[in-house]
Amino acid sequence: MKLLEYEAKEIFSKYGIPVPKGVLVRAPEEVTAHLPELGDAVVLKAQVDVGGRGKAGGVLFADDATAVRTARDLFSREIKGVPVREILVEERLAIEHEYYVSIAVDRSSRQPVILFADAGGVEIENAALADESAVRRVVVSPLLRDIPPFLMRELLGGAPKELGPVINSLYRVFQEKDAMLAEINPLVTTPQGVYAADAKLIVDDNALARQGIAVNRDLSEREREAEKHGFSYVELDGSIGVIGNGAGLTMSTLDLIEYYKGRAANFLDVGGGADQERVVHAVRLVASMPEVEVIVVNLLGGITRCDEVAKGIIAAGVAPTVIVRMAGTNEEEGRRLLAEHGYRMLESMDAAVRAAMEVAL
Amino acid sequence: MIYGDRNLGVIVQNITGRQGRFHTELMNDYAREVGGRGVVAGVAPGKGGQEVHGVPVYNTVREALREHDATASVVFVPAAHACDSVMEAAHAGIDLAVVITEHIPVHDVMSAVAYAKLHDCTVIGPNCPGLLSPGECKLGIMPAHLATRGNVGVVSRSGTLTYEVVDELTRAGIGQSTVVGIGGDPVIGQTFVDVLARFEDDPQTKAVVVIGEVGGNLEEEGVRSTSLPVVSYIAGVSAPPEKRMGHAGAIIEGGEGDARSKVRRLAALGIPVASRPSEIPGLIRSML
Repeated sequence: MKLLEYEAKEIFSKYGIPVPKGVLVRAPEEVTAHLPELGDAVVLKAQVDVGGRGKAGGVLFADDATAVRTARDLFSREIKGVPVREILVEERLAIEHEYYVSIAVDRSSRQPVILFADAGGVEIENAALADESAVRRVVVSPLLRDIPPFLMRELLGGAPKELGPVINSLYRVFQEKDAMLAEINPLVTTPQGVYAADAKLIVDDNALARQGIAVNRDLSEREREAEKHGFSYVELDGSIGVIGNGAGLTMSTLDLIEYYKGRAANFLDVGGGADQERVVHAVRLVASMPEVEVIVVNLLGGITRCDEVAKGIIAAGVAPTVIVRMAGTNEEEGRRLLAEHGYRMLESMDAAVRAAMEVAL
Repeated sequence: MIYGDRNLGVIVQNITGRQGRFHTELMNDYAREVGGRGVVAGVAPGKGGQEVHGVPVYNTVREALREHDATASVVFVPAAHACDSVMEAAHAGIDLAVVITEHIPVHDVMSAVAYAKLHDCTVIGPNCPGLLSPGECKLGIMPAHLATRGNVGVVSRSGTLTYEVVDELTRAGIGQSTVVGIGGDPVIGQTFVDVLARFEDDPQTKAVVVIGEVGGNLEEEGVRSTSLPVVSYIAGVSAPPEKRMGHAGAIIEGGEGDARSKVRRLAALGIPVASRPSEIPGLIRSML
């Protein structure tokens, strides 16, 4: 899960990474009270979870005379469709130079990888693509608690040594906060010292519980229902409902619908152990989407009991046509039960998707 | 076969859990069928002295290995403790740990894989179905009845989608040498490169099916590393573009990690990419 800038900065600050003085406001008038501590020149930054926020008009500059008006302006905006509800108001730094540093999980070497560039800022990706040497990278053994000095020297090259402790603190954040990504862009030098002018922190979804982070998302009723049953569920805009087991197979079923020029209504992975009750909930959930005309159930696996699944489909008793493809234990019994109640069970996923296409058209 | 044959001795960690119990029985059914050794011991702290489907249970891996000759472990330990169990296995001298458990935090996996490497222990997974060499051995949860012995290797990031492809191959009369599910998590022990290197050294394997997913560029890395004929299939081409992980993801992986661009990059390497699973047998046949 991606944290907002102010949340990430609070964490960075606890680890000794200097961040600009700042306050979070939820209304324009709140700005006034804080101006004395922030100084004459301020930056107002919309706290929205969108990439390219600056370019989309989510970061504005102001002085003490214009701050409230600017805040009002920013609160009235939508940044790439996301309304602004919180603004981080910060002191404006006297920036001498901008650097880039990030720590991520390197899938290839299975280790943390640290990236550093002498020229940070919004154009970092293009700079990296244009010139590979613009970004230096080192991988660190996950068994080490700190970045060894020799690696830090390699990473910094000719950049000021005072950046080293900040980068090491960022590495501690990365490790201890179960981060998938910890990024400072730009990391700036000023006459007053080094600061993290921006902060990005993405926490591993599998570690949210032990990090004590509550997931606070706006879920629709159907999404809440899916979460309750432990289904992985995404709504799309077609008319063919999809229920599968395993993310890969479910995804592949969606791809096949697209291959046959159809449109899937959703992605629903029931997970392991599709028993009667789970199948009832899954089928009813997908059937409750108003656009759904037909549902493809594609279940495969050694432990899946086809008779259980068949009973679940029958018990769900939904209006849209349900077309089933499954393989596993008690296949024949499942087929017999489904046939008895007028449901079709087909041999392959191709056949099942083609049959669904005929209904949806 | 790669990783092991019917003589491989296996232990199961958390053998007394629901999954561990169930799959120990299935693994040993398969071992009996092919005349293999199968699961010879189980581990569950505090449950030493019990038996699960006739398999003796020990408190620690070290104790199990004192009494039994085993070199591989299948890990069914819950996410919070799974990596500790991998390190315990590596420390006790296990050569191959297959981790079925899902939802393990990535940082734990990075540490466990690094630690296992220090002890010369190979890790497959986590969040994987394990491996199956038809007629030889099964480690994990793959439905063995779908597979037949032959000379096509299968390596995949998926679970059930792998079974789908194995089923398609078998129905088309194309047998498999070894089927390996390497797991769908961002950090996994054995990647496509590692498994393809094993296939390359395996006289039984004449061609390989590489089944990938959205994210990363391990598939491309893998096919570039092998001289074996490869057919690929990538799931997720209809998926809306993933939310991007800041700038670092793009810089590390040199562009987008979405399925379509992955398909393009594989095609550019001269790899036939099936647009649906049912095309795989035809493509593989043309390479054998």
